Amino acid sequence: MKIDSGDTAWVLASAALVMLMTPALGFFYGGLVRRKNVLSTIMHSFFILCLISVQWVLWGYSLAFGPDKGHIIGGLEWVGLNHVGFTPNADYAPTIPHQAYMVFQMMFAVITPALISGAFAERQRFKAFVLFSLLWATFVYDPIAHWVWGAGGWLHNLGALDFAGGTVVHISSGVSALVAALVLGRRLGFGQGKFEPHDATMTVLGACLLWFGWFGFNAGSAVTAGALATNAFVVTNTATAMAALTWMTVSWWHKRQPSVLGAAAGAVAGLVAITPASGFVNVMGAIVIGFGAGLFCYLAIQLRERIHVDDALDVWAVHGIGGTWGALGTGLFATVAINSAAANGLFYGNPKQALIQLLAIGASWTWAAIGTFAILKLINVFVPLRVHEEEELLGLDISQHGEPAYAGIDAN
Amino acid sequence: MDPTTVMAIGCSVLVFAGWLFLPHSPTTITPVKVSDERVREEREPVRVSA
Repeated sequence: MKIDSGDTAWVLASAALVMLMTPALGFFYGGLVRRKNVLSTIMHSFFILCLISVQWVLWGYSLAFGPDKGHIIGGLEWVGLNHVGFTPNADYAPTIPHQAYMVFQMMFAVITPALISGAFAERQRFKAFVLFSLLWATFVYDPIAHWVWGAGGWLHNLGALDFAGGTVVHISSGVSALVAALVLGRRLGFGQGKFEPHDATMTVLGACLLWFGWFGFNAGSAVTAGALATNAFVVTNTATAMAALTWMTVSWWHKRQPSVLGAAAGAVAGLVAITPASGFVNVMGAIVIGFGAGLFCYLAIQLRERIHVDDALDVWAVHGIGGTWGALGTGLFATVAINSAAANGLFYGNPKQALIQLLAIGASWTWAAIGTFAILKLINVFVPLRVHEEEELLGLDISQHGEPAYAGIDAN
Repeated sequence: MDPTTVMAIGCSVLVFAGWLFLPHSPTTITPVKVSDERVREEREPVRVSA
């Protein structure tokens, strides 16, 4: 196998783009919390970038992409990147060094647990968060990644389509966020007044950087620099814009004003929903997926508020529901005119693909929910999941890290 | 036109045409209320001994 310099350059640049998404997420979330918790919220993303970067090269990549064991998990043959060198791997990316593919996938493994952190913002003990992130990456993310993307994974063998992570990244994190919010319970003062975002400009900037980085996430998933990457790039931009327009319009109608934060959240919902479909649908399919993302994710937030679940930054509504819609939308709008190696969806004469997608959605929901619940309960035996009441009132920046985010609140 | 294109045009028309019927400005203007906790945070710096 010959290494293609263009493909390699694109995948490495994409890995860098996806890396930027995790700190961008920190700023997106950081703006949405109260000022006493902004630093701790940004730290969640920054810490996970460091943690999973190490976990992935030690055993994460081997579990997710290593030699298949019973169609469920990768083996330990690639622990410590043993056998993962510079020769291309034909199963995953035949024109780039194997390590380039590994580091690109590392950035996906990094951002996924970081997404969950929005659900338990402003109340989780940092030590519990550290343990949770490591266990979750190992026992929830790595197996699902193997099922869907690993050579020999059972959903991969069934023909489930997930170009860049609708099930692996967004359903897994979104559903886990819902479970985490239920297990941790509500923040003090929840329901007695609205928790106002402390800096909406930070959130909008975070959303813009996420949008930018997402081109690497989706177009990079082609692992070649050609037509497929171009399609992924174009449909990503189109669906994102359509979702932002739709969310803003729905919230304008519902709340009588066009919300800026709503437009930013809508853009993220669109990015999420087009992720699994970006290598399989055309630009018209992207518009429908973007429209559905803006509408369904907005409705999911209304439902979450109605049932009083304190998923603080709406990770379930945006990632869980957006990812589910995107995975289903892939089964509806996929066409071999875009990707001849894949399959047609329902609207192109192949209803079976929609059923396979539903199975993949169900499996991801189930494993993420069970795994997250078990991990949180296990950690709670050794470390309390939540901070004490007085620490929560003081804010996590000072109570957990001993540092204020802004001048005027000092730690002396 | 294939069904996907028809749906895409329908969705776009729905959003674009919807703007014609949306309110020009909020019906009621509510003054922004700053919570007591927020005021305390901004005026009385929290001090924690290291």
